[in-house]
Amino acid sequence: MVAFLVRRIFQMFVVTIVAALLSYGLLYLVPGGPVDALLAERQNSGQDRINQADIQRVQQRFDLDVYLPFRFTRWLIGWPSGPLFGSIGADWAIGCQTPGQVRLVYPDGTFELVEEGCADYLTLAELEGRRVSRGVFFGDFGVSQVILRDRPVSDLIATRLPYTLSLMGASILFAILIGVPIGIYSAVKQYSRFDYTMTTIAFIGSSLPSFVFGIFAILIFSILAQRAGLPFLPPGDAVGVRDYTIPWIGTVEAGSFLDRFLRFLMPVSVLTFINIAGWSRFVRGSMLEVLQQDYVRTARAKGVREQVVITKHALRNSLIPFVTLLAGVLAALFGGALITESVFNWPGLGRLFIDALGRNDYNVVMALLFINVVLLLIGILITDILYTIVDPRIRLG
Amino acid sequence: MTATTTVVPGDETSRAPSETQWQIVLRRFRKHKIAVVSLVLLVMLVIISALAPVIAPFPRDAPNLQTRFVPPFTVDSQGNFRLFGTDHLGRDFYTRLLYASRVSLGTAFFATLIASTIGILLGMIAGYFGGWVDIAISRTLEVVATFPTLLLLLIMSSILVQNINSIPIPDFFANFLAWIFAVSPREARIIFAVILVLSLFGWTGTARLMRGMVLSVRENVYIESSRALGASNVRILGRHVFPNALPPMIVDFTLGINATLVAESALSFLGFGIQDPTPTWGNMLSFAQSYMFQHPWMPLIPSLPILFCSIAINYIGDGLRDALDPRQRG
Repeated sequence: MVAFLVRRIFQMFVVTIVAALLSYGLLYLVPGGPVDALLAERQNSGQDRINQADIQRVQQRFDLDVYLPFRFTRWLIGWPSGPLFGSIGADWAIGCQTPGQVRLVYPDGTFELVEEGCADYLTLAELEGRRVSRGVFFGDFGVSQVILRDRPVSDLIATRLPYTLSLMGASILFAILIGVPIGIYSAVKQYSRFDYTMTTIAFIGSSLPSFVFGIFAILIFSILAQRAGLPFLPPGDAVGVRDYTIPWIGTVEAGSFLDRFLRFLMPVSVLTFINIAGWSRFVRGSMLEVLQQDYVRTARAKGVREQVVITKHALRNSLIPFVTLLAGVLAALFGGALITESVFNWPGLGRLFIDALGRNDYNVVMALLFINVVLLLIGILITDILYTIVDPRIRLG
Repeated sequence: MTATTTVVPGDETSRAPSETQWQIVLRRFRKHKIAVVSLVLLVMLVIISALAPVIAPFPRDAPNLQTRFVPPFTVDSQGNFRLFGTDHLGRDFYTRLLYASRVSLGTAFFATLIASTIGILLGMIAGYFGGWVDIAISRTLEVVATFPTLLLLLIMSSILVQNINSIPIPDFFANFLAWIFAVSPREARIIFAVILVLSLFGWTGTARLMRGMVLSVRENVYIESSRALGASNVRILGRHVFPNALPPMIVDFTLGINATLVAESALSFLGFGIQDPTPTWGNMLSFAQSYMFQHPWMPLIPSLPILFCSIAINYIGDGLRDALDPRQRG
């Protein structure tokens, strides 16, 4: 067990580094960085053209003048942040502030300026005092560049986290509470009318894209209900900005508990429905398998009551594969239901990700991606350990 | 398929009236009524979308501010009958839907085709050769499977679509795609980028499934005997392993098309996939959502095809599974 844990944690460490490299590389190796954005903005707005000093300032802000490997280590572990051990290598070049320009003269007299080499190197000493995060690896994700300018990414995530957690927590809980009994009943009464109905609903539920489902919910419960003069649900956002009146219920004050509750209802229901499909199918399959086992037949042959056979002998064994789903749950709790949050304008992490990606706020995107991968890995590890606890036949090797 | 037509002397002629394997599959598939209906309707949709440029009543992108938000089944102020109404720019929904079917279904089909091909090849190599090749491929699979797919899809798609001109796509290929999707070469480049991204993450499931199949097929006596007869690895893989591992792959491919279709729609819906003016069901739905409070019929137009295709493809996959491998019914 200990050897397994050590090896597994080492593996996780490697995968984490790879994930960090990947998420960093993905966003920084592509054209269209902050400087390009600034250039485009200035050119479009017709303001004065930006000069070399502006470019340098922006590059400094985003660490773009540091060479890529060091830029990555500065992002990952916040190193190097100045001369090594306080004094060593103060004049070592670690980046380039202004590229060198070479004048290429053609035989016909025309010339062209070509960037080559470096005119002004960035040294370790010059890095001192520059703002640097303590490193993603230690939980410092730097500052947001667009969405909340200069505020730490972790603040941004912290304000959005409760929304995602409440949404996902509630929907997963309800999905288990509803989906598991449905799955059990379907398996016990296999090929009954109930089973066929539930299988069909689960089948359609699992093939439906969640955004179509969310839009239909808004259409029916917000728009059409309101037009018909029936009680309706607010269509989006987590908190209202204006009071509104709902038939039969009365005036709902914006920001009150009732307001929040009503707005919470629809996204949670949509997510719950989508998850129920998965959970019930999963439990049904697992239960069907266990019901064919010899010990279930033995229990029945002994004359044990059917109810006891199902709850004590079958159900407990059928829940073993259940723990495999937990790995996904942990990451889902965090990553949230990106699409559902987007449809309902729910200010959770999924929407934050979409916003950040759409507005090129790289630090936020990278932080969310990185956290998600790490959580997935932790989830997988926990699953493996739980597996040995609930099923002693499995040994970790 | 060929047993009834090939002339083989002796024993073969007596087998002529018996069914070939594909006839058996076809007979079993026909028993699944919903799947057959789904297939017929889906084929009709594909034919209609293939004829889009011919049967579309209006130009695809021509905005007309006099005819915005015309409801379905009505005649607009200029006397034109609008089957599915018009959108926020006065563009004809029916026309755009025809083109969108072509783009959405085509993108899903080609992305799944690429992903399945990669998956089948890698799975076959890993399962058949074993050893370090298997370890390398399986480990890569595991790592790719731990990635949060939707996040990466969004990131990659957003980057590629933003920098579409920096992806080297040969002109003749872009023109070819443009012809297939009935769009301009510029739009075809974006579609190609989205296909690329979708296929990049779609192959892991197929590879794992294929590897498992090959591992079991490999142990059969006929593989051993053909090796004893001196057949090369390529011949064994092509003639014996692949055909015997194929049935689950067909089901996987069918369900894969649905998954890709939904993924593409989601990407375009969130604004990171195929961009307006190229119509896809996803981006049409995204615009419709903004106007659904004033015009509640709007989101129905692009979302019903998504719903229909999604359910139909799943039923076809279900029917194929029953037909190809009745033991796998769950």
